Parts: sequence; structure tokens; C-alpha cells
Amino acid sequence: MEILLSFIQALGFILCAPLVAGMIKKIKARLQNRKGSSILQVYFDLVKLLNKDSVISSTVSWIFTAAPYIYFAGALVASSFLPIFSFSGKGLGDFFVLIYVLAIGRFFLVLASLDAGSAFGGMGGAREMFIAIMVEPALLLSMCTIALKAQTSNLTIMAASAADSPFSLAYIFSAVAFFIVLIAETGRIPIDNPDTHLELTMIHEGMVLEYSGRNLALILWASAVKQMVMILLFVVLFLPWNLYDSANFLWLVMKVLIMTVVIAIGETSTNKMRLFRVPNFLAVSCLLSLLALVAQ
Amino acid sequence: MVAEYLYYGILLFFSTGILSVIFTKRNVKVTNYIAHSIAFMGCFMAILCAFFVFFQGELNLVLPILLLFGDMRVRVDGLSAFFLLIIGVIGAATSIYAYGYSREYYGCRLPLMVSLYNAFLLSMALVVTVHHVAGFIIVWEIMSLVSFFLVNQEYEKKTSTRAAYIYILMTHVGTVFIISAFLLLAVAAGSMDFGQLKGVLVSDFMRNIIFLCVFLGFGTKAGIVPLHIWLPRAHPAAPSHISALMSGVMLKTAIYGMCRFFLDFLGTGPMWWGVMILVFAIITAALGALYAFIEHDIKRLLAYSTVENMGIILLGIGAGMVFLSCQQTILAGIAFSAALYHVFNHAVFKSLFFMGAGAVMQSAHTKNMEQLGGLIKKMPYTAVCCLIAAGAIVALPTLNGFVSEWLTFQALLFLPQAWSGMIGKIGSALLIALLGLTGALAAACFIQAFGITFLAKPRSKKAQEAVEVMPSMVIAMGMLAGLCIIFGMWPQIMLRILQQALVGFTSIDVTGLKLQEWYLLSFDQGQVRGSISIVGIGMLLLCGIVVAYILHRKFGKEIKATGETWTCGIVPNSHMAYTAMGFSKSIRTVFKNIVHTYDEILVSTSDNKYYGRELFYHVRIQYFFVSVVYRPINEAIIRTATFMKSIQTGSVQLYVGYIMVITVIVLIWSTRW
Repeated sequence: MEILLSFIQALGFILCAPLVAGMIKKIKARLQNRKGSSILQVYFDLVKLLNKDSVISSTVSWIFTAAPYIYFAGALVASSFLPIFSFSGKGLGDFFVLIYVLAIGRFFLVLASLDAGSAFGGMGGAREMFIAIMVEPALLLSMCTIALKAQTSNLTIMAASAADSPFSLAYIFSAVAFFIVLIAETGRIPIDNPDTHLELTMIHEGMVLEYSGRNLALILWASAVKQMVMILLFVVLFLPWNLYDSANFLWLVMKVLIMTVVIAIGETSTNKMRLFRVPNFLAVSCLLSLLALVAQ
Repeated sequence: MVAEYLYYGILLFFSTGILSVIFTKRNVKVTNYIAHSIAFMGCFMAILCAFFVFFQGELNLVLPILLLFGDMRVRVDGLSAFFLLIIGVIGAATSIYAYGYSREYYGCRLPLMVSLYNAFLLSMALVVTVHHVAGFIIVWEIMSLVSFFLVNQEYEKKTSTRAAYIYILMTHVGTVFIISAFLLLAVAAGSMDFGQLKGVLVSDFMRNIIFLCVFLGFGTKAGIVPLHIWLPRAHPAAPSHISALMSGVMLKTAIYGMCRFFLDFLGTGPMWWGVMILVFAIITAALGALYAFIEHDIKRLLAYSTVENMGIILLGIGAGMVFLSCQQTILAGIAFSAALYHVFNHAVFKSLFFMGAGAVMQSAHTKNMEQLGGLIKKMPYTAVCCLIAAGAIVALPTLNGFVSEWLTFQALLFLPQAWSGMIGKIGSALLIALLGLTGALAAACFIQAFGITFLAKPRSKKAQEAVEVMPSMVIAMGMLAGLCIIFGMWPQIMLRILQQALVGFTSIDVTGLKLQEWYLLSFDQGQVRGSISIVGIGMLLLCGIVVAYILHRKFGKEIKATGETWTCGIVPNSHMAYTAMGFSKSIRTVFKNIVHTYDEILVSTSDNKYYGRELFYHVRIQYFFVSVVYRPINEAIIRTATFMKSIQTGSVQLYVGYIMVITVIVLIWSTRW
């Protein structure tokens, strides 16, 4: 039963995720004094891509075809674990599972990037793994700050334990630490630019360069879901008040809106950093998490 | 009773396997089939014997072998049976695999190899079952020697011989410590029997010495950094099915030895034992993964990955020791279950990948990944098996590596329960983060190993001409791939076996893990709780794929066009694809303080200096521990030897002179008091 409800929650994520992505785009455009495209533009793009034909390289194997499905499924499973409603993800898994489920999709997508045998794909894949290697310890450390306090890795209990304590120094530190990880994990400026199409600077885009049509639609959609998962993970763990309250859904939407504004402001006020500066950026996150542990 | 006959069956089959080559040596083909079939039967007996011990209780017997030190007692308790099961499972798979793989060695001393192969299996089966100090040391030594000869199988190659000598040297350094540990205990107990060694009263100081000896001795075999240097040399030199056995099973006998000492003989120790193991374990895991990633010889890569996985296993054991020191029995049970589960998982998936690497080598005649590529189309079954192995190694959920890694994470998360205070919290968080780093490095490493070997275009003529290997090899790989999936989806099966294996040790409590429900794995004991449902995750993944499929098909039939990969208008060729060296370049740059690499670019200009230049890019890796630890020792030994050479000239007169001088000195010395 819980699996079914979690699955329905995941379907909800899939429906809403393009909206969140569209909102960030819109806010960003307004901040840059542009009018910007409609909030629903991401949906239009997806529908357009789903109707298009695909061009598939003659070099590729079945891995290339399978990767978008698995990437999509990984994002869906991850979204079903988030403790947004009282039933979700109960007993199914914890934050370790969440991280490793997201890793399934990445594993296959990077393999697919090597499959076509082009230099761009390999470059994108290599950089994606490079950033993943740097992000992983930072992500786990920032999660540990809460998990060690709650003495469990269960996300529901972690959220409840986080809601127990008011704003403390430790919380602010770990929230900032997690926000840095969020930026890196969702591939946004200053780590990666989601809008770039210049071969030498792109990471995620380079990896999926060989994809077109429906496969590309699935990948873009799954990326949007993954971004929403990370945003909601932040909301659940670091802004967890009134989680199961009467007006909880409204609160949730408010918090997500705040997050999109923060991300959009962050993105417009910085520029992309050099690839080898990324470890330093994430080291800041690790350090903040350790400080948070000390301050607890 | 049945278990006893089965145990004799194991010994009988393997011994017959050793001797069978004498009768069949005229025809190598017959030798291959008969000796490997006998080995397979022996392994099958080992599996059965292990299961009988799990269900009917332990087995005690005295082998009718006369030793100077008393009877050689054999006792198969749960722990021994668990390791016997691993030997059986992996040995059975490698025996089937060897039917096809041994064709490589028809002209290269095959009878000797299969005879040693049987001896290797026999010695490992004895190591985990003999319960007698002298007997254990003897079979341990036999195991090391037999594997030395197997590593040295192709002794025409200088690298093989060198690898084998480094291996035998390192393993003997380890054996010195193991013998010391055993003798210190045996002298205190006044008996050579394992049963008498338990709970022997020794002073705390001696116990610490014994602990250090055990850690160093078995640690050398297990490949703890910095004692790991023999591993990446010995594994590539041995034939692939032997590497699979060495990496999958032989290294695990070291874990057996550690568990025997820590759980059985030494009793509860101080906390620093566990902390020390944790520190070495995390260094081993992280450095192993890093070295594996920057390697481009596929078997060396696998050897370094073995180092990494031994680190993960030791993390479980170290956490277990910390919990033991604080009498946290349930948490200790979880930690030891995690470690032993990973022992089994690593045996399965690493053997599988070694077999896959062997298949690639047999088919494409190279183990350098940079010359491979595109094999997924030539060898589809091998590719699928290797993909499953890679997924299991990097701990993707629903494959077996994930469950043990999850349990290890849980054990580390609860470390502050035993190790209170700020240090415990920060230590726990750092260990989790570094284990995450290790996992991510391993993921990158195996994406590289699989992607460069099997995907894109063939990078050389050899890779282009590769074909799928013999059915027997594919069947053996398929068996292990199936085990990866089964034990990933239903960890309850193996954890139940582990409960049987560990239930005999009173210091840990393995009943904390609840396995009653078929879909759920959970533990809930006051402060300590956690749960996971791999089947649920698997079902959700399947649902996700179905949803993706529906979205994909909803818009009518897809029109696909096939075209070449876009390479900015140039005709694509295999040199454009990413290489393993390029894939790991950014990590080499970031970790340049740990792995010193020297990039060398050689340019050979032809007549026209603007066109037709050939560029060679070469990376030389300098290993920190080799240059800091081993080279100085090496040089010191050589310096001492050179010095001794000048004293030892070979002239008899001089030697008589030495004797006289010494005699005079001794006489003076003795008369003074």
C-alpha cells in the first residue's frame, strides 16, 4: 500500500517538475530585465520533443537506448522517498538509498555518453563523474549533520528531528552546506550552466549531446524531476516546519517558491567557475558541515 | 553425520584432482575436462557441507594425519562453513569457466596448472576448517606457496616472475606476524587446539601485541594500504580464473583469520583496536578506489578495486570492534553482518569481473583498455555479465553490493553510540563522507572500465576481430551474475545464513536484524532503527521504466533515423572517442598531491613539420608508498648486503681469522666476570 502511495507521489513530482524548472527560468529572466518565456514553456518543449523523430548514431549499442528509461526511473524512485506526506517512503529506504538511486541514473547516462564514441560525450561524462566524485562526500556530510542528531538515516524521522529545534547556528551552517551541494547536484551556475550549448563549457548538456527526440525529452524531464527532488529535500530537511499541518500543502508550495527565487538570484549574481575551482567550492560545503557538527 | 562424509568428500575430490593429471597427462584436453570436473565436484561438496553445517550444527572430526604437535582437529562451525560456502560457490564457477579458459594454456604446462588449481582449492578449504595452530600455519603456508606457483605460471615473462617474488616476499612477512600471534597465544594457553585458545588469560600488553600481529599479518594478505603492493602485481600475472579465486576467495581467508581472532580468541578489547582498524580501512578503501580509477590495465584496475573493497569490509569489522568494546552487541552484530555480507558479495562480483576480463583477454589478446572498445557488439553476453558486475561493485540498488554497503553505512552512522562525544560524531561523519567518496570514485572507475572496454568503436585491430567466448565461460559468468541479482534483491537469504554463521559467538547479537518479512530488512532496538526494502525499490524502478515507456510510446510510433556520430563534420573514427587516460585526467589533476603523475608528451616530427606529426602521450604514476616506504627499505637492504660482501670474501684463512678473533673476545669477556 505504501509503495502505491509513494508511487502516486512520484507521479505528482513528474507532473510538477517542469513547472518548477519553468519558474526558475521565468524568475531568472525577470531578474535580467527580460520578459522571458512562459512558465509552462518547459512543458511545451517536452511535448515538442516527444513528437519529434530521433537520429541515432550507428555506433551505439542497447545501453544508449536503455539509459533514458533508467535515468527517468531513477529520478522517479528518488522522488517517491521524500517524506512530504505521512505515508511517503515509509520503510522503503533512507537517504543513503536516495543518493544511490540517483546514482543509478547517472551511471547509465555516463555510460551512454561514452557509447556514441564522440569526444564531446566522453568529455561531458568525464566531467559529470568528476563533479559527482566531489559532490558525494559533501552531500553525505551535510546529511550527516542531521542524521547524527536524529540518530537515524530515515528521512521522516530526520525531518521531524530537524523541525524540533529552532534556528540554531548548526542549522544555518548545514543549510548553507547543503545549498552548495544542491547547486552542484542540479548542475546550475556556478558549477554548470544548464543553458549553454558551447561544447567546451558544458557538462550535462555535453553528456546528452547525441540524444534527440523522445529520448532527449525523457532525459530533460528526469533532470527536472531530479532538480525538484533536491529542492524538496532541502525544504524537508532545512525548512521543515508545519510539515504535516492542515495547510501543509500551501506551505510547501510557498517554500518551494522561496527556493526557486533564491536559486534564480544566486544564478544571476554569479558566473560559471573554472572546472578545477569546483573542488574548493565543495570543500567550503564540507567545512561548513563539519562546523555544524561541532556547533551542535 | 552427512556433513562429515561431505567433508571427507571435499578432501577426496580435491586430492584426486591433484593426482588425476598423472594419469591423463598424455592428452591435455582430457586433463582439462577431468581435473576441472573433479574440482567442480569438490566445490559442490563444499557448498553442500556448508549447508548441512548451517542446518544441523557444527562438525567436529580428527583428521588421521600425524603431526608432531598432536592431532589435527577439524571443526566446521558457522563461521568456517560460511567461508567454505564462498570457496564452494566461487570455485564451482571458476571450474566451469576453466573448461574454456584453459585452452589458452594447452601449450603452456596445463597439467601443472590444473594440479595446482586443485591444490589451491584444497588448501583454502583446509585453512578455514582446521582448528589447530600448527595445522593452520602449515595449510596457510601451502596456500601461499601454491598461489605463488600459480602467479608464476607464465615464468617466461619477466613481469610474472617479479610479481610472484614480490608476492611471496610480502606474504611471508605477513606469515611471520601470524605465526607470532598464534604462538604467543598457544604458549599462554599451553595448547595448540583452537578450542583452548579461547579466553586465555594474557596480560593487556601481550593482548595488544597479539592484536597488532594479527592485524599486520592478516592485513598483508588482505591488502591493507600500505601492505597492498603485491596485489596489483600478482593479480594481472596469474591466469584469469586464478585471479578470480585469489581476489574473490584467498584474500577472504585473511578476513576469516581476523574474525577468528577478534570474535573467538581475543575477546573484548579496548576501543583503540577498532578505531585503528577503521582508520586503516578508510585509507585502504579511498586510496584503492583512487588508484583503480587512474589505472588503464583492466586487471590491475580490478586488483586495486579489490584493495578498495577489502577496505570496505574492514570498515565493517572495525565498526564491529568499536561496538564490541562497549558491549553494544546488537550494533556489533549489524557491523559484522555487513562485513561478512560484503565478503560474500565481493567474492561474487569481483570473480565475475575477473572472469569477464579473462574472456576479453582471450578474445582480444590485450588487457590494455586503451586498445579495446566496441566489444558489446562482438561479445554481448560477456558484456551483460560485466555490466552486472560493474553495477554490483559500484553498489547500485537491487544489486548485491548495495545491501552490504548500506549496512556498512548504518554501522558507521551509529558509531557515536559507542564512541561518544564530539570526536565520535565527527569521526562517524568523516568516515561516511569518505566512504561516499570511495563509492563515487569506484563508480567513475567502473564506468571507465566498462565504457572504454565495451562501448564506442574498436580502438585496435585486435578488438575488431574479437568474438564471443566459449559457452562454458558464459555459463559460469551467468551463474555469478544471477547470484548478484538474487542476493541484491533478497538480502534476507544471505543474512539468514550469516545469522547461522555468527550465532555461535556470544559477544555479538545477530538477532537484531529482522528478516521475517520477505520484502523488508529492518532493525529496531530502542535508539537504533533503520529499514530498507530492496524489493520495493526494485518494483518502483520497474514502475518508473514502465512510465517512461508509456510516455515514450504515447505519441505514436517513433521514426528513427540512423546517422553517424556528430564530430563537427569530420568522418568519425575510433581515435576521437574518449580514452581511459582522458577520462581520469581531471581526478589525477585534483589529487596530484596523493598520486604523483608525470605526463610525458613525445613528439616525433616527420619531414613536414606542420603535418603528419605523431604525438605520444604517456603517463607515469609514482606511488606514494612505494617511494616513501618500500624503496628506502629496499635500498637499505642492498646497502647492508654490499657492506657484508666486503667482509665475506670467500677466503678460508680470513674466516679462520674471524673465528679466532671472536673466540678471543668471548674468552676475555667471560673471564672478566
